[in-house]
Amino acid sequence: MAPRPVEIVVDGVSKAFGTVQALVDVHVRVRAGEFLSLIGPSGCGKTTLLKTIAGLVAPDSGRVVVGGRTVEGPGRECSVVFQDFALLPWATVQKNAEFGLLLRGVPAAARAERARGMIAKVGLAGFEHAYPAQLSGGMQQRVGLARALAVNPQVLLMDEPFASIDEQTRRVFQDDLLQLWSEERKTVVLVTHSMEEAIYLSDRVVVLSPRPGRVHQVLDVPLPRPREGAGVRATAEFARLVDDLWKVLRKLQ
Amino acid sequence: MVVALRAASVIAFVLLWEWAARVPISFNFPSPWATLTALVALLRSGAILSATATSLQSLALGFGIAIAVGVPLGLVMGVVRPVGRVARVYLDLLIALPTAALIPLVILSFGINILSSAVIVFVFSVPFVTMNAYGGVRDVRPRLLEMAHAFDASRWQVFVRIVLPSALPMILAGIRYALSRAFVGLIVAELLLSPFGLGRLIMASRSMFEHDRMFATVLWTLLLAGVALAALARLEGRLLRWRT
Repeated sequence: MAPRPVEIVVDGVSKAFGTVQALVDVHVRVRAGEFLSLIGPSGCGKTTLLKTIAGLVAPDSGRVVVGGRTVEGPGRECSVVFQDFALLPWATVQKNAEFGLLLRGVPAAARAERARGMIAKVGLAGFEHAYPAQLSGGMQQRVGLARALAVNPQVLLMDEPFASIDEQTRRVFQDDLLQLWSEERKTVVLVTHSMEEAIYLSDRVVVLSPRPGRVHQVLDVPLPRPREGAGVRATAEFARLVDDLWKVLRKLQ
Repeated sequence: MVVALRAASVIAFVLLWEWAARVPISFNFPSPWATLTALVALLRSGAILSATATSLQSLALGFGIAIAVGVPLGLVMGVVRPVGRVARVYLDLLIALPTAALIPLVILSFGINILSSAVIVFVFSVPFVTMNAYGGVRDVRPRLLEMAHAFDASRWQVFVRIVLPSALPMILAGIRYALSRAFVGLIVAELLLSPFGLGRLIMASRSMFEHDRMFATVLWTLLLAGVALAALARLEGRLLRWRT
């Protein structure tokens, strides 16, 4: 039932906002079903790159290909999870989770059932009738994730999804995300500024350099999976990988 | 707590009024009791009820059209920015306009009838309805628009699913404020132009030096406005339950 994950090819993408060069000739290839993180100092264009893949930002030159289709605007392959959740404050958890399905014209009954299933999957069963303002940040982001997954995308694009969530909640959520990812098998691109988060979650980490944004280096993360609940953070290998990443990033500050 | 505070404020107001009536501030300043007696008499005779019915017709007509015109206009101004930038100048001027001075012109155009006072009610209330609808649209969170775009929403979907519900709290607040303006407009219109309605009752009582009747009519108008505003506030609370 889950669609086959697809490959993403970012092929020589450049983008300027006025006189600011956000991205210059960026090449990234995300493998089908891969978990890839984009990291870099602020101003490196990582969010711009994510939005380009989502079709929300049109590149000045170059192109993005998602599953063989050149991106010319938002499409059905990708769902986006936002840092500030972007929930509808006037809608319940249920209606928020249904929102993407509603926009795509899915009939009410199917919509409700699909959203309810996703709400349960992200661990919010029983909160269907709550409003966003009644939930903690972590729970709100779970709603954002449920909404993104409800439309059954092949690609999940996450823009600093854990940045506004406190540390303990974040760790639990990260494990839940890995668990979900292993079940749903999406291609995931995650923008983050946390080195630990990038290493813990990803197969590969793409380091972008700032002003103008370019691909600086790509690091492999050869930690075995499943990582969730396996005490990976306590291993010497994890510490070494985070340190390697820090050495790369430090030179870019 | 709130109830107690409300009761206390009403009692304090009545006491202040009673005190003001006893001190000879002005000749024939009616006491609360005299006003109340006059109000009961006006209700018994039916004079105030028929005046109310006439006035409420003007109010409903003028205010209804103000909502029917103002809300869509404000929404269009917010969605089509150039229209908004041009139209808001006129609305600002309309708010600053000494509307009462225009009443003779309105009478000349529409005649001495319900329509004239409805026009005044409309002019008093429509800028606030429009400006709030406009402001509501401009205050939509850009991130919500981006989210809808990410799901490839059509323009119509964005308008109905994001813009309208985002603007609703401000639209409702504008309508509520405009309603109190509509009451002011109604009485001004009837005082200055009309041989009917609550305004006429106030004028007639004043010219006969029946100040208790005049005060009773003003009090009655306030009560009407208070009830109407409370009903709107309730409706607002129901529609905006999510704002907990």
